Parts: sequence; structure tokens; C-alpha cells
Amino acid sequence: MAFAIEKRAITKWLQMLLESGEVIAPVRGPCGDILFSTIHSPEQVAWNFQNPLPPPKQFVLPQTDPLVTIKRNGERYEVAPTYDDTRRILFNVRSCDAKGIAFLTRMYEMEPADASYLRRANNLTIISLACNIPCPLGFCVCTGSGPFLSDSYDVQLTDLGESYLVEVGSEKGEAVVSGVPNLFRPATEDEVSQRKRLETEAKNHFEQETCHFASAMRRISTGRVQDALWEKMSDWCLECGGCNMVCPTCYCFSVKDLGRDGTWIRCRMWDSCQYAAFTLEASGHNPRAHRKERMKRRFFHKVSAQYYQRDAMVGCVGCGRCIKVCLGATNMPAVVGAIRKGKWNE
Amino acid sequence: MWGERVRQPLRRRNGKPESVSWDEALDHIAGRLKALIGAGKPVGVLGSPRATNEENYLAGKLARAGLQTNNVDFSYHSICGPLFAGLEEVWGEHTPTASLCDIASSQAILLLEGNLAETHPRAASSVIKAVENGAHLVTIGFRSTQMARRSSLHLQTTPGNEREVINGVLAAILDQQSEDPTRVAARGEGYEALWQDVRSVKRTDELRQAAEWIARAERATFLLACSDGQGDQPREVAAAFATLAAITGHLDRPGSGLLPLLARSNVRGACDMGVIPERLPGYDPLDDERARQRLQNLWGKKLPLDRGWGAENLLQSVSGLIVVADDPPSVVPMGRRAMDAMAGIEFLVVLDAFVTPTVRIAHAVLPIASFAETEGTLTNMEGRVQKLRTATNPPGEARMGWRVLAELCARFDIGNSYTSATDVLCEIAQAAPRYAGIEQRLSEDGWGGALLEDFDSAKFVVRPAGATRGAALASAGRPHVLVRDVAFDWGRDPLVSFSPTLSRDYQSERKLFPNGFVEMCKGDADALNLGGGRHVRLASVHGDAVVPIRVRADLKPGVLSVPYAFRDQVASVLGTDSVTAVNVEPP
Repeated sequence: MAFAIEKRAITKWLQMLLESGEVIAPVRGPCGDILFSTIHSPEQVAWNFQNPLPPPKQFVLPQTDPLVTIKRNGERYEVAPTYDDTRRILFNVRSCDAKGIAFLTRMYEMEPADASYLRRANNLTIISLACNIPCPLGFCVCTGSGPFLSDSYDVQLTDLGESYLVEVGSEKGEAVVSGVPNLFRPATEDEVSQRKRLETEAKNHFEQETCHFASAMRRISTGRVQDALWEKMSDWCLECGGCNMVCPTCYCFSVKDLGRDGTWIRCRMWDSCQYAAFTLEASGHNPRAHRKERMKRRFFHKVSAQYYQRDAMVGCVGCGRCIKVCLGATNMPAVVGAIRKGKWNE
Repeated sequence: MWGERVRQPLRRRNGKPESVSWDEALDHIAGRLKALIGAGKPVGVLGSPRATNEENYLAGKLARAGLQTNNVDFSYHSICGPLFAGLEEVWGEHTPTASLCDIASSQAILLLEGNLAETHPRAASSVIKAVENGAHLVTIGFRSTQMARRSSLHLQTTPGNEREVINGVLAAILDQQSEDPTRVAARGEGYEALWQDVRSVKRTDELRQAAEWIARAERATFLLACSDGQGDQPREVAAAFATLAAITGHLDRPGSGLLPLLARSNVRGACDMGVIPERLPGYDPLDDERARQRLQNLWGKKLPLDRGWGAENLLQSVSGLIVVADDPPSVVPMGRRAMDAMAGIEFLVVLDAFVTPTVRIAHAVLPIASFAETEGTLTNMEGRVQKLRTATNPPGEARMGWRVLAELCARFDIGNSYTSATDVLCEIAQAAPRYAGIEQRLSEDGWGGALLEDFDSAKFVVRPAGATRGAALASAGRPHVLVRDVAFDWGRDPLVSFSPTLSRDYQSERKLFPNGFVEMCKGDADALNLGGGRHVRLASVHGDAVVPIRVRADLKPGVLSVPYAFRDQVASVLGTDSVTAVNVEPP
């Protein structure tokens, strides 16, 4: 069932949300740039914004994520897990990012389930804002992760001009909407059909031509991409790892002990599969010593049929951030295009 | 948390470092330096291309006005100095005339490189964008690097003969210009002499092709890294390269230009702040009367006129030395020699965030904030002044570098009541006129920083090419050439080597060779029946050494390359050269 909320009532709702937990929303910084950040008042929330470069995944998977505290106690060591039980509400995230977090959760809940991640994810309520106008570099329509969502959100808002359509997608969503008297009313039939019309219009607005994931997926999953192509493409990559750092679905990490004076915190830290030492073994052997092998691995992981067979999705949410951040030329659409055609566009 | 940090001011007593209070440390340092100066002993200051403009400015002010000496330099200057000198011969400046945007929109790019993709990924990114848009990239170098593989044409050199290749392109360009006088872009002074000098140089089809692309391009950029070579060669290479840009009219045409590729974040800033012996803040010559007057009024002290020593001589000669955020032995070409010299300095003061080898032998250590903990500005390779903002607090008692230097200045009666790094920047605007108004622009321009205005396009001088040295370095007795790879090696930068993440990622293979290695191409290794990791004996006129080899696919046969970080392991073979002929045999 869909609800609606008048725009002027949003402030009130945000105030109530602020009382119930930490609210994270896109915020305009002093130099005009947008970042996801904890807010303290409803006015801070940005409504008309281009999706920021860093995705909101840091609120479920922090860049430096403390897992275990290790203390020296005489001759012995005491080890205690660290959990983050903060209740968080992610407000105004875009469809691609909501889908990205759903992807991460799917990965971390597989056996053996990751308790640290899941505590954060279970305490997170996602209130997404559908994209009436797709962003210039996005191609979420090709990855089934936007511009409007049919799942992966707790609440989805759609801007209808005077009001927002409020779709509830989960019990957590139910909780942030139903506990609030007098703010929400059942949506009218007109409003529901207006949302459908907006979605169709948005889908017709994509600048980026379709990404041909299906065809690329078939080729890469059946081993029909020549090694020479990977080698050629790897010369257009500068191995900066930027694509990994801004990717809503990248979850690879390394583990480091930070600390001094007898106390250490074992942390999970974001890492990049594009760096030579990511797979470096203690013996000195490196199964993916060459850049082409690392690149092949990355795109195989994102584009091959594995997620499609399991969840009917690809390992990319089409946010277009890698296009913006890439120092070279090997962003997702470019590589998917090359895989499909079997040649790098030179 | 990352690597060992300096947390407290330290003072060496009876050979052991002891924690002391800030006041005690600063008073002690000022007292000792004043005593040395009083005794007529030479003192000096080393700034750093890792430090901010504010830190470098105050380091220079402390040296010239406080210690009354022009012994002020930064150690990386001993590497980039020849390149600067070569460029200055041609147009009087070493500052870039092209921006990164110009590179990305070029139609032709001439790149004399070490290894651009590894040393300057941001510039490499602009080159990649240009190549993607159809630009002709011509690379000159002895390695088949990533950029060389992506180039339209790779002109392979043997270390030390870059000059020959550049003269070849020069000759081919002059041929074209003489065929078609309308294409003569500029006839500066010395043009005829140049013509005579390169007349006999051999032209190949490749050289003609490169010349054609460069001459025909409306927008062309020239990227120049520090090169290797004996004696004056690096300076001559830089001058010839700049001449190439000048005679094709690309030196100061909008959208075209030349960009020197310098390592580390603030070489440009250190130069602009006058942290080189022969230049005052604003990059004015030491004897420029107007500049001297300007600074004397500003600082309230008379400035010394005696020429100062450059970094390498300075390390050998001074009795008292202040080192700001640098580890000279890891930077200067002859690291071991620098370390020995520093160990003999009577009073060594180091300001650093990390426990570097220099910090370990210092008599007094002042802990300063790292880049993430400090405020100030940096001037990047294209002349963009960018603001550093504090992201976290420095550990222990460490303070921001500008504050520490300001307190030292105060103890030499040249203090000023700075309350923030911005106050220092405002003073810089008065000392270096090109920085006037930067403070205002930085606060308006947000994250992007503020690009310094270009110099007025000075008239350039076409340099005669001189006789091209045809004689090859290698001979029958020493058929190989060993080169000290001057491409900056981040592996020894404290910020990298003390960070497990960065050092792991950039130099992971280095861990397998803690005592260094020399790189050799596969063909040469096979001919000697050697695999990677095996040792060889290298022998030159200077001496010999036994080192392990690493087999590389991107080297030319006959060339061996030693990474800069491992140059001390073959110091006996290289002597004072950066390129030398060697004989290679199993040990």
C-alpha cells in the first residue's frame, strides 16, 4: 500500500526520525559539494542533488571497521568483539545506492554470516528517493537498479511536485511510517499513476546508451574473452584503485591491527583488488601478479552470471561513479562494451 | 599508528635522546645555533618539497634573516637542478607553460619520461585522455613503459643518449621549416647556430614522423622528466627539449606548452618560497636589488649577499643544520655519502613527523604534524596553489610545522605574531608578489585551488645544439650500460615506507630483495644463463659490486637499471655517475 506526504510535512517527519536514531542524508558542503553525512536538523537535507562520489556504503561497511579489541593482560591476551549497534536511518539515498547496500548484505549474510556487518545492516533503515531525472553518467536502467526501485528499500519516496509518494517495502519501513500519526495519508489513484508515468519518463531519459550487460555476461561467463583483450585494456588503467573505493558493491578488504601500548584493534579496511599486493602471498608468490589478471578478475566478478543465476542481478548497480573517478579509460561501460565487441575501442 | 611517529621534542644528552619540553628544546636549539654562528662556523637550513609553502617560507626566512646565511636548499634540488638550469637557459624560467588541461586537449604530446604512469599518474591520466581523443603521443626513453606501449611512436634511447634523439627531432623539424618558410614559428636568437649544429644529424623516418606531428599540431604539450646522464648531459637534454618546444612555437602558445615532471608534491612551492641558495622568495635572483629591498623591509633585517651552498655541498660543509621534513640520505644521489656527512655535523636539528634515519642521528628533534594534521598550502606541478585542511590531530605533543618554525624565527628576532597558517600566507603574498591575492582566491575557489598567473611570456633563446656526442658509452670490455633510474622511487619516502598499506602496494616486490637488485632484460639474463634472483658481478671503471638481478620485460638489451632506492648498493660501480658502462658476469 502506498502513502503520500505533503512536502511541508517532511520537516516534521525528519524531526521525528532524528529523535529515533542517527539520520544520514546528502548534505551540501561549504564548497557546494554533496556528501552523505550525519544530520542534526531537517534543513540540512539536500533534495535536488547529483549523487555524491563516495557511496553511502561506509555506514554499513566503514572504510576502517573495528572488529576485535585485543588487550595484553600480563602473559595473556584478552580478545573481545566490537559491535556497532547504532540505529541509523539513511535518508534520500538514490536507488542505485539502496540496491548496492542490498547487494552487500546478500554477500555478508552468506555462511559464515558476518555478525559485525549484519548488526549494522539490521539496524539500518533505508529511505530512498527515486530518480525522476537520471544522472548524466548513470546506467542503472541496464543493471535493474533504478531509476525507480521495486525492492531493496525500506521506504521509497517519489517527488510528485506538491507531495511525495511513500512506498513501504519492509517492516522496518512500516515502523518509520506507521508510528507517525497525521503526516501520511493513503495515496490517491492519481498519485500512484503519476509515479508510474514518472518512472517511464525517467527510463526514456538516459543519456548513456544501454550497456549490453547480457551479451557481455554471456561472453565472459563462457570464457570467450581473449587474454590479449585484457592485456590491451590493462594498459588503459593506471591502477589507482579509485573504481573500487567509490563502487557501491565492492566489499573486498584486508585486515590490519591498529594500536599501540598493549592494545590493538583488529580492523577490516577497504582494499582494492587492482593493487598488485592484494593477492600477494606470504611466500612471495602472487597468483595475479599482472594487471591484466587483476582486471580480468574484477570484471569477471562484477559482470559474470554468478549473481544473475542466484539473485537475478549483476554485480554493478549502474551508478556511473567509476566513469567519473577513473584516471584511465577502463570504467564499467567501456569495458562491458569492449567485452561485448571483443575489441577495445582504439 | 602508521610507522613510528615523533611524539615529543627530543634533545640528545650524553649520546641519548631525551624527551624535553617545547620551550627547552627551542631555547636549546637557538642557543646552540647562535653559539656556532658566533664562533664563525657555517650553518644552514634544508627545506623540503614535502613541506607546505608556509613551512618552506619560514625555513627560508629563518636561514636568510635569522641565521644570516644563504645556505638554504632542499635535497631534491640536487636531482631536479640540472633540469631547471636547462630550461632557464632557454626561456629564463623553469615554471611550466602548460597545464594538465592543456595536456588532455593536446593533438601531439612529446614525453621524455622515466615512467610517467608510476611517477605522475595524474599527468598520465591527462595523456591517456588525449590519446583516447586521437592525439599522437611520442615517447622518448629507454624503457618500454605503459605510456610507450600506448604511444603512436616510441623513440627508444640508450641511457645517456637522449640528446641524440632530441637533436634528431630538432633536425627533422628544421628540415621541414626550411622547406616551407611559412612554418617557421619563431626565429629566436641562436637559430642559425642551431641549424648548423644539427645539419649532420642522421634523420630517420621515425624522427621525421615525430617532427611532422609536433610541427603540424595546433596544440602540443612537452612533458619532461629528470633524465640520467654523465656530467652536464641532464642539463643539456632539458635545454634541447625546451628548444624543441620553442622553435615549433609551442612554448607559450595557449593550449600548448612545456611541463617539467617533478617528484613530490611541492617542489614548485619550495622554489617559489626561495628555498634554493641563489633565489629569494618570488624566485628573484639573490642579487636583485628590488627584491632584496622588498624582503629587507618586510623582515626588518639586512640580507646576506654571499652565495650559499647547494644541498649536497651544504651537507658536507656546515657545522649546524636544520632539516625540515626531509631525509636527505634517501633523496640525494649519493645517499651513503650524505649519511656519513650528516653524522659528522656538530649540531643537527630535525623537524619531522616520522622517525627517519635523519631523525635517529639528530641532536635535537622537533615533532611536527603530518600532511593530514596540518594546515597550509602546496603549489602543484602546474602552479595550482591548493589548501591543506586538518583532518585529524597530530599525535603526542607534535605541533604544526609552521608554528614550530615561527617560534624558532621569534628566537632570532624575526618573529611575527602569526595566529594561523593563513597569516603566514598573507606574509608570503608580500614576499613573493605572484602569491598576492592567493589567500582571497583560495577562500573563494573552494576545493579546486587557485592557479598562479603565468609569467609574461619571456623571449626565448634558441640554444645551439653543440656537437652531438656520437661515442657510445659501452665498449667491447664493458658491453652493458648501468643506469641509476632517476624516476622517483616512492619506496623510500617516509610517507610511503612507513605506511604498511602504501609500501605494500607500491613496492611489494621490494620485500623479496631487502638488499636491493638491478634490473636486466630477459635476453641478457638468458645469454648469461641467469634467472631472476641470481647474483651478478658488475664491474665499471669505478669499481665492482655483486648484486641480485630481477628480470624485466620492458628493458632494452644491454641496459641494466638500478632503482633509485637501491643506488647505494651499486655506489662502488656508479661512482659519481648516474650512467656508466659495465661488464656483467656471474660472481
